[in-house]
Amino acid sequence: MATEKTDVVIVGVGAVGGIIAAELGKAGMKVVGLERGPRLKTEDFEPHDELRYFERQDLRPSPRRDPVTWRPNANARANPMPSLNNGNQAGGGTVHYGTLSWRMHEDDFRVRSKTIERYGKSAIPDDSSLVDWPVSYAELEPFYDKAEYELGVSGKGGNIQGKKIEGGNVFEAPRSREYPLKPLLVDQSAVLFEAGAKKLGLHPFSSPRAIASEPYNGRPGCTYCGFCQAFGCHVGAKGSILVTKLPEADATGNFKLITGAMCHRVNSDNTGKVTGVSYYGPDRSDNTIEADIVIIAPFIYDNTRLMLLSKTDKFPNGLANSSGHLGKHIMAHIMANVFVTFDDQYVNNFMGPSAQKHTIDDFNADNFDHSGLGFIRGAQLSIGTPNLQGGPIAFSTVGPPPGTPYWGAGYRDFVSKYYARHGAMVAQTENLPFPDQTIDLDPNVRDAWGLPAPRVTYDWRRPSERARVEFVQKKLAEIGQAMGGPHVWPTPVSPAGAPGAHHEGGTRMGSDPKDSVVNKYGQTWDHPNLFLIGSSTFPTMGAGFNPTLTIQALAYMSADAILNKYRKNPGSLI
Amino acid sequence: MTKHDEGRRAFLVGTAVGAGAAASAVLVPEALAKDHPEHHAAADAPAAAPSMGHSMASMSGGHGAFFNDDDRRTITALTERLMPGAPGMPGATDASVTNYIDIALSGFDEDQQFFYRSALTQLDAHCKQTYGKAFRGLAAEQQDETITALQQGKAPAFVWPTAQAFFTKVRTHTMEGMFADPVYGGNKNFAGWRLVGFPGAQPFYTPEDMQSTKAFTREPIVGLQSRSKEG
Repeated sequence: MATEKTDVVIVGVGAVGGIIAAELGKAGMKVVGLERGPRLKTEDFEPHDELRYFERQDLRPSPRRDPVTWRPNANARANPMPSLNNGNQAGGGTVHYGTLSWRMHEDDFRVRSKTIERYGKSAIPDDSSLVDWPVSYAELEPFYDKAEYELGVSGKGGNIQGKKIEGGNVFEAPRSREYPLKPLLVDQSAVLFEAGAKKLGLHPFSSPRAIASEPYNGRPGCTYCGFCQAFGCHVGAKGSILVTKLPEADATGNFKLITGAMCHRVNSDNTGKVTGVSYYGPDRSDNTIEADIVIIAPFIYDNTRLMLLSKTDKFPNGLANSSGHLGKHIMAHIMANVFVTFDDQYVNNFMGPSAQKHTIDDFNADNFDHSGLGFIRGAQLSIGTPNLQGGPIAFSTVGPPPGTPYWGAGYRDFVSKYYARHGAMVAQTENLPFPDQTIDLDPNVRDAWGLPAPRVTYDWRRPSERARVEFVQKKLAEIGQAMGGPHVWPTPVSPAGAPGAHHEGGTRMGSDPKDSVVNKYGQTWDHPNLFLIGSSTFPTMGAGFNPTLTIQALAYMSADAILNKYRKNPGSLI
Repeated sequence: MTKHDEGRRAFLVGTAVGAGAAASAVLVPEALAKDHPEHHAAADAPAAAPSMGHSMASMSGGHGAFFNDDDRRTITALTERLMPGAPGMPGATDASVTNYIDIALSGFDEDQQFFYRSALTQLDAHCKQTYGKAFRGLAAEQQDETITALQQGKAPAFVWPTAQAFFTKVRTHTMEGMFADPVYGGNKNFAGWRLVGFPGAQPFYTPEDMQSTKAFTREPIVGLQSRSKEG
């Protein structure tokens, strides 16, 4: 058992932790980062291997070692989820992510007010905890800009300082300047998607992605090998924390990364302050770090779990839980798919960055009139690859069109003909927050360290949630028809209602300590030197957009507040 | 040759030295083993497999890492029906899918050994109840009927795992064996990748590749340890 002292300890060195480590380290603060997995190198990722990284999820937590259980409601028994989408190494999910890098729309930050203004209060389901964010787009814009330039996002602006630009996302909020890198090349499925969507009067564009379209900050440009989502980048073109922020943090001389370190407790005293953390080392030793500031930044499951595991006599319901909202309002993007095949040409969608290549924003957020539809909010509609990855194992998970069998000679002929001639579309659909969608400690299942597994209680099948998914899937099918494919078919959205992607919530931010866990800086209301930063603080999903760039913008905003306000005057930032 | 095959050959050689003549029967020339019809026999000539017995298995390469010989025949027959070969279209047997599953169950998926053992016992019970024979001895149409029953959960002999769980698992393993890199023991000579036109782990594509609406043929197939001889 070792004890050490530092200014700042960060638990989880991923999208958030890497940014905070670099920013605080540069300002002269001594930072220790704890990471339960290893620190890998770019050379570890060549050559690519679909079985190892996609199917066996080598860069993600093992459901056997790090189980997260799920049940649809409080009356059902929870079972370990078969796959997890978060990261398991230094760099976190940014090592294997698809790199989609979105800014939320302006109104996404005032979703409750905007919904009531446009549709009246009755448009919000009675049992939903839909709220406005305590931060505005204008406030976050400089940090979005910083994240885009620091990590290297390729794209084309559709609204620069209020000027709408054809070919970019005309629905986006005004940005202060163009993306740092031009859009990535399109593959043939994106070409077909663009033509089909335009036929319908929609507004397709190349999705903004944190992949360098040309050399950037000493990193090479993308080689279009197609191994992005689920894989590490074999040239370092992906703007993962591993190749962007960790080297920067190292260079400060103020950062120390401890790998194989499983944090199991945040320690606190009777004054309400936290004093540091305890973690298990790879040798099973129990170690302590004392720190002035504790920043918790793993994936959302562990934010809530750590707070619950850290309960004391003074805080019997867990740390940061005086509001009783810890672990509540969990959300997920529901992925509805539509596939299209072509007889007269190859598509070869295994080429090029694999996830959500081309997008329309027309049916996302409040970008369309929901009057009479029976639901609010929408989805990001994109074309990419099955399961966001373009290898043949991923294609084999796709349910074939009606009339084609799922096995046997008919199935063989289907994969043989259409693997290289198909398009894969996904509607990444927003879910509303509900207080009874929760994370807590599983009473039965424990992880490899003997800690209770996080248990997710979540179901997207409320009528209004279902109606949204059905609507956007129908829109995708219309685009598929307009693309000219002879076969267009939707696949069933998981009938079991298992959780989707991008889990968010559990430590929601707000402007009132009575109904939220943290303020907009991720600072817990109850413990001023304890910060929870990441998508666990999202009070709503924002949109059908992938959350990472917003997570990173919030990390830059928190780092700025810690350096420029908290350091001078430790205490509540609000 | 995959690492596993190398390991298995080394093991077999060691066994032969230690155990003498009985074990040395497995050391047939590789070319003979490759061309031997046994692989296709299980699916296409169902009556042949059981009666030929252990010597056939031995002649074609010997015992694997996990399955016993009967189970190996059952899995070979089952996976071949799930992904049947045809002229110009390699199937599960051509791709050595059984070898993939055998290696998976003795390694990464070792926690599913009991699942497979139980399922194969139940499968034989179901087939004996229904047809009076084990699955590996059935005609192709009966095998297909059986797979449909598994898929639809209409095989009452199954308790745990359920028939549908077994169907899903074997189908997933079959696809992995068809399409995972050959280093894992299946996708032999890139059979699965040739079937669908996947060029493997290409390190890059050019702007011209991205603009093409034709099949990709610029480079041979690239695997973790080898390339195909032609494009």
